[in-house]
Order: sequence, then C-alpha cells, then structure tokens
Amino acid sequence: MDWNCIIRSKLKLAALALSLTAGVASAEELLVGAEIPLTGSLARVGSGMNEGISVAVEVFNKTNGKHTIKVITADDESAPAKAIAAVEKLAGQGVVAITGGYGSNNIGPASDAANKLGLPYITSGGVDDSLTERGIKTFFRINNTAGYRKAMVGLLADMKVKSASVIYSTKEATADLAKDVQKELTATGMTVGMHAFDPAITDFKPIINKIRLQDKSEVILMAGYENDYVGILRAAKVLKPDVKAMIGVWSLATPKMVADFPDLMPSVYGTALLPFPAEFKSADGKLFADAYKKLYNKEPDYLGQFGYVQSMILFEAIARAADKGTLKKGGVAEELAKTDRETLIGRVRFNDKGDNINFVHRMGQHQNGKIAIVWPSDAATGKMNFPGVPW
Amino acid sequence: MYVSKTGLAVIAAAYVAVPLLLGSNNYVMSLIVAAMIIGGIALAWALLGNLGGMVSFGHSAFFGVGAYVSALLTMKAGMPIFAAMLLGGVGAVVASLVMLPVLRLKGPYFALAILAYAHIFKIIATEWSSVTGGSAGLASVPRFPELMGFDLSGKTGSYLIILTVLLAFVAAYRAIRASHYGIALRAMHDSEDATRVVGVNSTLLKALMLFVSAFMTGVVGAFNVHYINFLEPDYAFSGLWVTLPIVAAIFGGYRTILGPLVGAVTVYLVDQLIFKSLIPSGHQLVLGALLVAMIIFSPGGLMPLLRKDSRRKHAAA
Repeated sequence: MDWNCIIRSKLKLAALALSLTAGVASAEELLVGAEIPLTGSLARVGSGMNEGISVAVEVFNKTNGKHTIKVITADDESAPAKAIAAVEKLAGQGVVAITGGYGSNNIGPASDAANKLGLPYITSGGVDDSLTERGIKTFFRINNTAGYRKAMVGLLADMKVKSASVIYSTKEATADLAKDVQKELTATGMTVGMHAFDPAITDFKPIINKIRLQDKSEVILMAGYENDYVGILRAAKVLKPDVKAMIGVWSLATPKMVADFPDLMPSVYGTALLPFPAEFKSADGKLFADAYKKLYNKEPDYLGQFGYVQSMILFEAIARAADKGTLKKGGVAEELAKTDRETLIGRVRFNDKGDNINFVHRMGQHQNGKIAIVWPSDAATGKMNFPGVPW
Repeated sequence: MYVSKTGLAVIAAAYVAVPLLLGSNNYVMSLIVAAMIIGGIALAWALLGNLGGMVSFGHSAFFGVGAYVSALLTMKAGMPIFAAMLLGGVGAVVASLVMLPVLRLKGPYFALAILAYAHIFKIIATEWSSVTGGSAGLASVPRFPELMGFDLSGKTGSYLIILTVLLAFVAAYRAIRASHYGIALRAMHDSEDATRVVGVNSTLLKALMLFVSAFMTGVVGAFNVHYINFLEPDYAFSGLWVTLPIVAAIFGGYRTILGPLVGAVTVYLVDQLIFKSLIPSGHQLVLGALLVAMIIFSPGGLMPLLRKDSRRKHAAA
C-alpha cells in the first residue's frame, strides 16, 4: 500500500468519524416550536413572552451541556385560525413540543391542535379556567386566575379593610378574576361593589363618581389592562374619591408604567414578580437577568419572566425525555407532569389538569419611581405605603 | 343549472385533487380552510352589495350569531351539528330582522348602522352569560362527527364540508341572479327610484337579500365554531370578519360570483405562504400594497383581470 492510498483511507475514516459526530450533534439539537402573537392586538405581550423564550434558549444551551435546543417561532397574528395553522406548521417542521400562546381564545384551539398531533403545549398567556377543564393531558399552564386572586385577597387581608369596589373589564380574564375576588371577599364578610365596563370605554369618571358617592369603599380594585388603568387613575385623580389604596393586577406594576405615567403611579399596587430595579437573589435569577440584559439591553419584565419559566421547564422535560429515549413516545408530557422545582415565579408543580397548583402572584407598589414587592411578607422588598393614593 | 366544462373540472379538482395532493399537509389544509371561511363571508358580503346595493360593515354580527346559535344548540340541546349549522344560519336571519329599520338608510349611513348592530350583538353575547358563557365564552364546542368511518373533524373532512357549503352558496347566488328578482335587483342597483316607478318593491327585495346574506354568513360562522371548537364574544364578533372578507371580495372582484372566493383564497394563501415567509412580521404591508395596486390597475378585481387576459390569449390564437 503506497502513502497516497494510506492517506486516502485515513481521510475517509476521518470524514466518516466527522460525519458520525456531526450526526450525533445534530440529533441532540432538539427542535421546539414557539407559537406566539408577534403581530395583531396581542403583539406587545407576545413579544414580551418571546423575549423570555429566547433567554431560556440561551441559558439552557449554555448550562445543560448535553442537549441543545433550537426554537422555531411562528407568529399566530393574534388569531385562532392562524394559531392552529402555526402549530401545524411547527409540527411539520419536526418540533417535539410547543411553548408560547397568548389569549385563551388562541391558546384553546392551538393547544387542541397540538394535542391532536401529540405535542405537549405549555403556556403562561391564558388564565381561563376552561383551558384546564378539557381533559387534555398534553396541556400545561404555569399561571392561573387563582394565583392573581390569592395575591389581591392576601394584600387586602394585610390592609385590614372592610369594603372594596371592583372596577373590571368585561373581557374574559378580567371578568373571571373580578368575580372570583368578589366571591372570596364577600365570604370573609367584606362589602364589595362591582362595576363592569366595556373594553371600548375610555371615560371612567361616571364609575369613579358612583364609587365616591354611593359605594364609599375603602379601596378600589382594578381588573383591566394598561389603557384601562390609565383611564381609571386619571378619573380618580380628578374626582379624588376618599379611598386608601388603588390596586390593580397585571401590566400595572411595571417599569413601562413607571416611565410612561410617573404622575399617575405613586402608591398604586399591581401584581409583580420582581421589584424594579430588578434584584435577583437565586442563581437561576441571576442567569436569567444576565442573559436578558445581554440579549435585549434592558430590565426584564414580567412577560419575559413567565416566558422564560415556561420554556425552561419545557426544555428540561425534553432533555429528561431525550435521556430516557421517550421523546417520541409521549415522554415530554410525562416529564412535564413530574415537574416540581423552584423557579423565578415560585415553585411549579402541575395537577392532573396541567395547572400549576402552587402559583401565587406577588403584589408590588409604585414607590418613588421604583416598584417594591409588598406582599407576601416573605418576598417583600419594601414596606407597604398604606394608606396612599396618587393624588 | 348549466356548469361549464372548466367549472366541472375545477369542482372535481377541488373535491379530489386537493385532498389527495395536500390532505397530508395539515398546515396548508388549515390555511385553505381558513381562506374558505373568509371566502364564504366575502361571497355573502358581495351578494348584499352586488344584488342589494348595500355596503355592510356589520357582517360579524351574522357570523357571531350563527356561531353562537349552532354552538349552543349542539352543546345544550344535543342537536346534530349539521342541523345546528343550518339553524345557525336561521339565527342570523332572525338577527337580521332587527336590522330591517336601517334598510331605509343608504350608503355610509347603512354601513355604520349595521356596524352598530354588530356591537350590540357582541354586548348581548357578553352580558347574557347564563346562556353564552359571557366573556369567558364556550370551550369544547362539539367537533364534526365521523361519517362512515371518515373523520369529518380532520383537515380533509372540514375542507370537504366548507367546500360543499360554498358550492351550495354559489349555486344559490347564481340562481338568484338569473331569476326575475335578480334582474330587478340589478336594475335597482343602477337606479332604485326608477325601479320603484315600474312597480318593484325595492325594500322587500333588499330585505330578502339581507336575509340571504345573513343566512350564508351565519352558516359559515357555525362551521367555524365547530372547526375551531372555541367561541367567545370578542372573537365571534371581531371586526376581522368584516375587513378581511371585504379585502378579499374587492381583490377578487365583488361584482362576480366567484371573485370573492378566488380573492379570499388568493389573498390568504399568498399572504400566509409567500409574504409571511419573506417578512415574518409586517407581511400585511405587502398585501395592502398589492390591494392598492389591484384597485388602481384593475378596479373590477382579479376575476375580470383573468378573464381579460384569457380573452386576449384566445384572440391571439
């Protein structure tokens, strides 16, 4: 055998070894689908969740060591039919599970489509209880109305108030939450006035006036979205009802609200996972914050945190299923169901309906251009400024 | 009813070739079904404009009412889905009865009044929570059943159902247009006063066209709810059920019968399969530009443009 022949055979072996190694590496790159509204009415919240998903990919790929995740994103354009199409497109591209979804009307049909295709679906974008009542074993959700209700009711218990007026949008998530809160507060003997409003209205003065003159409640609870809060707080600032606190839920105790409406926010409460500026004490939190700042050069918000947590839980379940060789045999859903770990939003554990039974939100308060966590006491970063209103 | 050889070939291809070639591709099939849903509303909208001379911004009312009626009849009364779908259409007709007073209005006034009705129906669906489930809506709406072992709730099954529904609508539209009523309606379109002078009861004819259009939209809404299996007021009465069909009808040619269907399928598929893959966020911009170009260069829409092109080819041959 001459040298040329030897070199040629060595090269062939090396090429074969390389191709095998490449084969193994690509086999371990696991595809995950992200079905998210990046355009349409839910684009802003969808983009926030998408940032969290990207951060989760970055952190997982850096820390796992064995498996790598690649996310393929499909914009559902905030429309149910396109959410179904997005899931089916992602399935066609070979994803092993779906993360994402925003709005129960999109999540419902999309997760249904995923279930038909045998793909697990995890989300933090829909709190409608009917989503977990369908008996779908591939559906998982890390947050729910109960967690928001517990936070609102817990804060009111700490305030020791006896009456509250609830102003709520007739949209599904807000109406559900408002009615749940009313039920629980009434059961504790509190007087609760309910004031529904159509999502299209912008002038809240008639409702505030009614609360001021008729309800005469100690606190006002708001279940709505950004524009609603701004309208309610503006009306309250004009009419100055004699209340001790203005308390909202999602999209209120956020850095964006601090920056955009500094005159309306002082002492206002809203659900918040972290204070602002963000302080991360856990190793996972620090990894998240560092990766988030590296990718987006800004402070992480609650949407990013939810997107991150749901995706990390999913990626870890996929990795466990891959290790057990059950990836294509329903292993991801099985591993997701076994999840029990501390996360940025607290401990996550799913019941047999796929709902996170441990989810309890935290309440933050706008204080001097910052947001302090004021409830529960074990997570508090500041003292509640009570009574306190923006006017 | 006369159907040309080309027409028969297209129908045969739609029933046989599409399921055979694309049936295994869930993604493309779901896009086609979604496009046909838009096409169904576009056809009903164009019928009202073309024959009744009315421009409606409120077809989401009929779509939503049809969806709710069908969903509730199947969920609460246990009615078979296909019967419930037809009654969904009837429900939309009943809803259109309350709109009769606005038939006195013309042009933009009618369009805005009917838009207000759509909003009223949305509020009713939200507030009547004991029946409609309120803002939380209805989940797990029954799917299409199996028929002789064939799952109609699958992509191909759903496609065949909506295809059949649309063909029935096209046949009805053609029959109305070819009838004496159709001649009177078209005459009314040119001059309502002149038509009334020769003894045509224009208000009655316009009301009938409103009923037909409402029925068609209601049935499509009913189909959609059993296809999507979920319903809530914001979705059922969304403005998208008006804007997209109008765009599709104008793009395809709302003066023709097939124009709205061709427009819907073209606009939806081109947007989702081509523009979206090129520009994932913001692809609607290209669609908007294309629509403007179509209105400028072929105000009659795609169908007249295609016919002109085919006539030119025949002449050249």
